[in-house]
Parts: sequence; C-alpha cells; structure tokens
Amino acid sequence: MDLSQYAELFLAESREHLSACNQLLLEWERQPAGLTPVSGLFRAVHTVKGMAATMGYARVTDLAHRMESLLDVLRRGAHPATDELLQLLFRARDALERAVELSVVGRERELEVAEIVADLDHAALRLARAKVGAAAEGPREAGGVTPSVVPPPPEVEAAATGRLVQVTLRPEAPLKAGRALLVLKRAQALGVVLAVTPPQTAFEAEDFEGRFSFRLDSPAAPDEIETALRAAGDVAHLTVGGEEVRGSGLEGLPAAPAEGGRSRHIRVDLRRLDGLMDLIGELATARGRLNQLAAERRDPAIDDVAIQVSRLSSDLQAEIIQARMTPVWQVFDRFPRLVRDLARELGKQVAFRVEGKEIELDRTILDELGDPLLHLLRNAVDHGIEPPAERRRRGKPPEGEIVLTAVRERASVAITVSDDGRGIDRPKILERAKRDGAVDAHAEALTDDQLLRVLARPGFSTAETVTSVSGRGVGIDVAMTRIRALGGTIDIRSEPGKGTAFVLRLPVTLAIVRAIIASVGPERYALPLTYVAETVELGTVTTTVVEGREAIVLRDRVVPLVHLRRLLAVTSDREPARAPIIVLEMGDRRAGVVVDGMLGQQEIVVKGFDAPQGTLPVFSGATIMGDGIPALILDAGGLL
Amino acid sequence: MSDAGVVRLLVFRVGNLVCAAEAERVREILPRLATTRIPGTPPLVAGLVNVRGTLVTVVEGWRALRQPEPPAANGTQSGTTVLLEVGGGRKVLGFTVDEVVDLLAADAAALDRRPALPGIDPTLVRAVGRRAGQLFVVLDTDALLTPILSS
Repeated sequence: MDLSQYAELFLAESREHLSACNQLLLEWERQPAGLTPVSGLFRAVHTVKGMAATMGYARVTDLAHRMESLLDVLRRGAHPATDELLQLLFRARDALERAVELSVVGRERELEVAEIVADLDHAALRLARAKVGAAAEGPREAGGVTPSVVPPPPEVEAAATGRLVQVTLRPEAPLKAGRALLVLKRAQALGVVLAVTPPQTAFEAEDFEGRFSFRLDSPAAPDEIETALRAAGDVAHLTVGGEEVRGSGLEGLPAAPAEGGRSRHIRVDLRRLDGLMDLIGELATARGRLNQLAAERRDPAIDDVAIQVSRLSSDLQAEIIQARMTPVWQVFDRFPRLVRDLARELGKQVAFRVEGKEIELDRTILDELGDPLLHLLRNAVDHGIEPPAERRRRGKPPEGEIVLTAVRERASVAITVSDDGRGIDRPKILERAKRDGAVDAHAEALTDDQLLRVLARPGFSTAETVTSVSGRGVGIDVAMTRIRALGGTIDIRSEPGKGTAFVLRLPVTLAIVRAIIASVGPERYALPLTYVAETVELGTVTTTVVEGREAIVLRDRVVPLVHLRRLLAVTSDREPARAPIIVLEMGDRRAGVVVDGMLGQQEIVVKGFDAPQGTLPVFSGATIMGDGIPALILDAGGLL
Repeated sequence: MSDAGVVRLLVFRVGNLVCAAEAERVREILPRLATTRIPGTPPLVAGLVNVRGTLVTVVEGWRALRQPEPPAANGTQSGTTVLLEVGGGRKVLGFTVDEVVDLLAADAAALDRRPALPGIDPTLVRAVGRRAGQLFVVLDTDALLTPILSS
C-alpha cells in the first residue's frame, strides 16, 4: 500500500487533534475534577493512533497507544487532574506531535521516546494499582513503585469504524511476529486495517504472546474474513466482531460526527488556492483591458459582453478570496498552552483570554502572523505581568490577565495583545533614547508613537538595560518588520501600573485590493484604500510648518505632507496648484500624500516583484494596469 | 547541456560589443516592452515589465556594459529583451540588447577561462569566442546581474 499521498492529510488532521489536546489539557487544568476533557483527550489520541497505524508509522502508533492507555485508566477511574499528571500529559502530547512531524518526513528513526514512554507506562500502572488498593485503603497518591511488568495490552477501544478482529496465535507457533504480520497483510487485502493493538512494533518484542487485535473496514462478510485470515496459518483463535461501533465507556459523551452528517468542508492544498488567485488576478487584468477596449469601440454589443464578463469575474474573485479566508483561531489556538507554560516557567499567574476567534483573514497573512504575536505574548508574560507578590503589593489581584482580541475594522482587522501589568517605564526608556540620540535631548516625555519607534530600533530592543528594567524590547523590531511587510501597522498604548496594549492592524486580504490610482508627472501609482481616510485639495486647506515639515490642518489636526513628486524624484513639470492630497490614516498616525491627479479607483491585483538595489522602501508591490503596463503600489506604512 | 562538453550560446549585440550568454540561462526572448520606473534604483535598472502577468525587472544592457545608447527608432526604443535566469534559476531578470545575432554551440571546456579583454570589466567575462571572424564575450550573467537585486 503506498500511502505517501495521504501523508499530508495525516499531518493536517493529526495537527488538529493535537491542537485540540492542548485545549483539552488546559481545560482539565482549570477544572481538575471534570471528566469531559479526559474523554476528549482519549478520543483525539485514539484517532491519531488509528491514523498512524494505517499509515504504518509504528512509533507514532506506539506512543499514542501508551498515552491512550494512561488516559483510559484516568477516564475509567474518574481521576482528578494533578499537576504531575498534567505535566506528563503535556510532555506526552508534545512528544506525539514531534513524532507525527518526523514520521511524515520519513525521519521516524530519529525519535527519542523511551523516556516519555517509560513515564507514561509507569503512571498508568501506578494509577491502576492505586485504584485497586483504594477500596481497602482509601485514595492515596501512589508512591514511586517501579513497575516490574509492562502493562498488559489493553483491548482495542472503539470509536473506530469497521469490525473488531481479535486474533490469538498458537502458543507453540514459531516466529509469531512474522505470522501476525501475515495475518495483517491478508486483512489489508480485504479492506482498511485500523487500530492495530498492540502496534506492529510490539510484535517483535520478546514478550509478544501472539495475541493482537485490529479493526477491519471491509465489505466482506465475517465468515469470509475469518476464512481468509485463518489461511495465514498458526491461528489458534479468531473472532470477527459486528460492524457497530462499540461504546467502550464513551456513552453519554457528545458523539463524533457521524458518517451520515459528513462535514461540508473539504481540504484544499494551499498551492491550489494560490494558483487560483494568480489566475483570477490575470483575469482581472484582462477584464480591465476588455473594459478599456469596449469604451474605445463604443459598440453596444461588445459593451454588453464586457459588462457581463466584468460581473462574472468580480463574483468569481470574491468567491475565491472568501475561500482563502481562514479564522484566526487556527493560529490563536496554540497560544493558551504557550502562555501557560511561559507563566509557569517565570513564576507568574496569568489568566489568558482570546476574543474574536472567528474573525477571518487571508491565509497568507494569518500564516505570517504567528511569530509576531508570539513575540508580543512572550513580552507580555515576561515583562508586562508582575510576579504575584508584587501585584498584591500594588493592590492588584495576584493573577494577571492577558487578552488577545481580533476585531474587524473597515477593510482591516485589528489584533490586540493587552496585559494588565506594570506598563512600560517611560522615563527609563526616554533617558536611554536620549543617550542613543533616538529622541531630542530636550524631550520631556515620549508619546506612544515615539515610544514604539524607540522600542522598535533593532539595536535598542535587544539592549540588556531595557529588558532587565522594564523592557519591552525583545522582538518588537521583528514583529514590526513582519507586520509592515504585510502592509500592516503596529500601535502601542501603555499606562504605568495599568498595563500595555499592542494593536496590530492588517489588511483582510493581500491579493486584491481597491486602490486609488494617482498620477505624478507621467507616472501612475496605486494607493490601497485600506488606509485612505479622505482626499482634499492643496490650496483649499490651511498649510503650516510643524517641526520643519510642511503640513496641513484638518479639523484641528496637523497632518504632515509627503510630496510624492519629490519623494520619488519624478522629473517633469511643476506640481499643479490644486494638487489632490490623499490623507492616509493608520491608528493615530496620519499623512497627506500630495499627487498630481487622481485617475480613479479600481480593484488591483497585488503582485510581488524582486526589488532591485536602491528601491525606495515605500512600495508594497506592483500591479498590472488595464493597458498591461505595471504600476507600483505605495505602502501606507512606509509613507507614514 | 545535453551533450557532454558542449554548451549552447545565445549571441547578441549591445552597442559595439558582441556578447553571449549560456542558452540554458535564457528563459525567453521578447521585444522591448513598456517599462515602469522603479524610484530609487540606479539608471541601469530600466524598470518593471509585464511578462504575461508576471512582473520582471529589466536591466538596461548598454548601461550595464558601458556601451553607447542605441539610437531611438520612430521615437520609441528598438531592441530586444532577453529574460535571463539568475542565481540558479531562482530569479529572472530582463536584459535589453540591441539585437540577437545567433545561437551556436561551443566547447564547454573553453568556458571559464576568464581572459582579460579591453573595454569590459574582467569579472564579467567567462570566455572569449570567435564567430565569423569576430570576437565575442561570453558573459558571466550571474556576476553581472546578481548585484542589481538587493537580496
């Protein structure tokens, strides 16, 4: 059976189950007496085991099996969560994740699982014994009893489909491992073999007694199966179970989605979506050209077709963009565990909350978001939240709070990481910034904006003095670079003693945006509408000079001007007297971009290009205009 | 290189210089396309062009090789754009030439002798060949074009 084509699917599904394990473990930690998380864990691990067995990943199967055994004991014994158990299960989950990842790339052999396997077996045995003793002695924590025997192979749990087949080989049969494999081979010829227990690797073990079981999903009748399998030889006893899925202690729990109520989702390779996006981009370009031609020809028949094609391709485009949208929980879900681990490590108490999990972003943007958020969360736990004692002294609850929120704004999504910690020590940062020459020596205070700029200076952020005092530095430059590259921005709000919040603003989609096409001399530039607040005309608004920069006053706010002609060194005649000003707004920052004229608004397909040396850092990409000639896209973040 | 020891070369003219590039590196030969200036780049970067929906940066051949500017015909620039793979095919750059002259086979062993030749930066010369009694320079296209891309 060549299963390599399923490897990616196996990986994707296993990751989902493993992610669920994290959530469930955290839940169990919060409600140590609850049984639901344990059952959920059992089911998730069991599914991974079943899939791994089918794929032939023996070590994954084995590890999952041991984990499952322990979970089974916990489940049956209605054992409450202890710190020790949770740590063990977290470790086991992580090991399983590593096992899955390595197996898929054919590096299963590199796995080091002996220690965790021993710990799992040990714990399972101890708990089972404690339970036996409990009747007489009452509950007690089992001491460090070293297990002298490997736990017996537990019977196959259900939750899998197909018939349960239990096989016992003749005790006198030689080469039991080979015989057992032969039985499995014959079974595979009949259908899909799942949940081999003990896993195939265990067949080689010295103490393998020739008893094993598996699930067989096959259209063949039970007696046919029995005959086929017995033909492998040396089979002493063989039973083929019914087709129903056994309850196996899962009664009363929400059932896994039944086959009939199959999910209406399918998995699509991301590359396919990217390919579709590229094609739709070209279609949009061709549509633009067609519209232009139709306008020139003034032929009603062509006009009609052009309009219809336009509408259809817009709808298609909207559908594909929608297909790329991914809810943020796909990235956020790994953070609760991370924050918990970090808090433990640093001796902090942190309640972590996630809001707006269902908000969607383009897949590409979401994928890039993980690391920057990680940096910010780390900073919040490490530098934001005070140790419990300090919090008590300040009259705060000992447990700090970190909130991760996603909110949809106009054409962007705002993601906020906030904590109720000590806030950034501005005077210290100011002092340091003055020494570095990052701010004017006479400055008396740092605005939020200046603060961010100072923190995001690469040299500054890693400086030891900052991090050890109140530092917020580590990683902010990294986070900022990433976010900027995605056409987004970062803002900061910090209040001493009350906490700090970082706000990340990102475009909802990268691929196609609505933009203003502006002309500067003979050149055209596209400005995405995402951050355009309004447009005004130079000469109709008051101009002024602030800190040496030309600016306009707009509803009592000073907006510095950027003359595109000067910035981009466009060589041609003078700027028109009533040049349009496109006002950009990103969080609290604003800038007025002075251009020569506005050629209109249109949907543009954002394309990357290999920027040659020297390219001004104000472009986020380029697009192809209706006439087939490229135009550069101005990056609002770079202009502000 | 299908036959061992033989390389195919695309021969073209830039100003007074007859040059060649390994045909294996040539992705496509196109007419001169409308370019969009990229602000901030040195003059030898002609700009961006649209090659069937993909954006390609084009380098002005005569500037890169310090040759005289080709005369403009009918107010528009004539010439040809050769798309070359750079850095092992990871990137593609356009390179404008005055005209494509020939496609010929040469002895691979003759490449990489790196002789010095007056009028051209020696680091850009891989070899010198002879065709119809005329010398031509086999260009090290990576050495010529890689520095133009910033990263």
